[in-house]
Amino acid sequence: MTLRIALVVLVCMALAVAESVLPFLLHLKVARPDLLLAVVLYLALHDDIVEGAALSAVAGYFSDLSSATPAFLYTFLAVLTFVVLRLGGSALKTEGGVQSAVVAFGASLLHGLIAAAVFGFFTGTGIHFAALPMLWSALGTALLAPAVFSILRRLDLNFLHSDVNAGGMR
Amino acid sequence: MGSILKRFREPIFVIALLAIPFFIFFAKAKKGIALSRVDRVLVALMAPIERTLTGAAFGVVDTWHAYLALRGVREENLALRRENLRARTTDQQAAELRLENDRLRHLLDFADKQAPTRLVVARIVAVGASTHSHSLRIARGSEDGIVKGAAVIAPDGIVGTVVQLTGSYADVQLIVSPLSAVPAITQRTRGRSTVKGTGDIGRCKVEYAQRTDDLQDGDMLVTAGGPGFFPQGLRIGRVGNVNRKQSGMFLSAEVVPSVDFARLDEVTVVAAAEAVQQQQQQAADLAPAAAGAVQ
Repeated sequence: MTLRIALVVLVCMALAVAESVLPFLLHLKVARPDLLLAVVLYLALHDDIVEGAALSAVAGYFSDLSSATPAFLYTFLAVLTFVVLRLGGSALKTEGGVQSAVVAFGASLLHGLIAAAVFGFFTGTGIHFAALPMLWSALGTALLAPAVFSILRRLDLNFLHSDVNAGGMR
Repeated sequence: MGSILKRFREPIFVIALLAIPFFIFFAKAKKGIALSRVDRVLVALMAPIERTLTGAAFGVVDTWHAYLALRGVREENLALRRENLRARTTDQQAAELRLENDRLRHLLDFADKQAPTRLVVARIVAVGASTHSHSLRIARGSEDGIVKGAAVIAPDGIVGTVVQLTGSYADVQLIVSPLSAVPAITQRTRGRSTVKGTGDIGRCKVEYAQRTDDLQDGDMLVTAGGPGFFPQGLRIGRVGNVNRKQSGMFLSAEVVPSVDFARLDEVTVVAAAEAVQQQQQQAADLAPAAAGAVQ
């Protein structure tokens, strides 16, 4: 279990690096995929509450580290997004790639709206909903979310197999 | 008590996870951005990976371009020679103007009160991870004489300011960030205003420009200078959508930044000469000590 947590943290770190480097190399202006949000989405739909919320906070913290925004904004937002998605979890399905993409698109829009509101309100800069960048970012997230889900699913399958081999289930 | 805690363990944990970051964010939201020790360690782990990845990608692109360049090298050489000739002529004219400027300044007994500065070229290694961040990470830090708040510029105009630092890396907040505000002058009319970020990567807005100012679409805004800000006269962007309301003191307008932030590979950081000298002095002080330690 501890190894699984460590591996998810490592995946978060790798995705934080990827989402900082890829838009730069590909000269992306607005269609920046939020890969760490896809992790939060996966955790909200697959993990237990305590572990999922804690790992979501870690994912948000990595976003904070590479965003140059006031400390812990994205940590807070990641846990909040986890809670909201968790509450709506039974209605959300992410079995196939298309389903994952659609859910990620919606989650990214929701996350973007909350982020703009919280950022604008508490930093005193005013609330601006830049609709087009938000849509593009949601599209980028939706395109890459199935890949992130696939990585995390494989990781979990390995743990499931090792647990079954050891004679128990998680 | 223990049974209640056990029963409500999950909601308590989640509420704590929401409350703690929220209160830290709330407390620090208007106080600027600072890295903790843990942040620094993690940035020190992640930034070299980002640097290696971008370096490798640029290496491949450079090799490809070098191969392509060989094919049209003769024509390009000729074009470059002509361009060089033109540049030298312009350079001579600029030198003349500089000398004339010096003479006039001397005549006016004008003392340049601006602090001496040094320009440090820095390679960009990553961009802000989220759509709301509007930041760049550069491969220069406090060890290179860079300080928090240092101005970052590119050949086309201003880029932003350094907001957080480690020894070898710095995060630059772009002028399009809602947290950024730059004092500006209209190049044509010398009217003053402030350029504020909107959060949109291709657009800033003009604030505090007098309604009576003759600001027009297409006007170029340059930095106004002043202590703690960008050096004077650097391009910010072109004005568009000027809107004069019937009432109120100020007009509203947009600014399209001169710099295309998505196309930047390298930037220049304006490091204060004092900081650079201090750092060089520290290095000089440490050198004999290090040599002694080796002996």
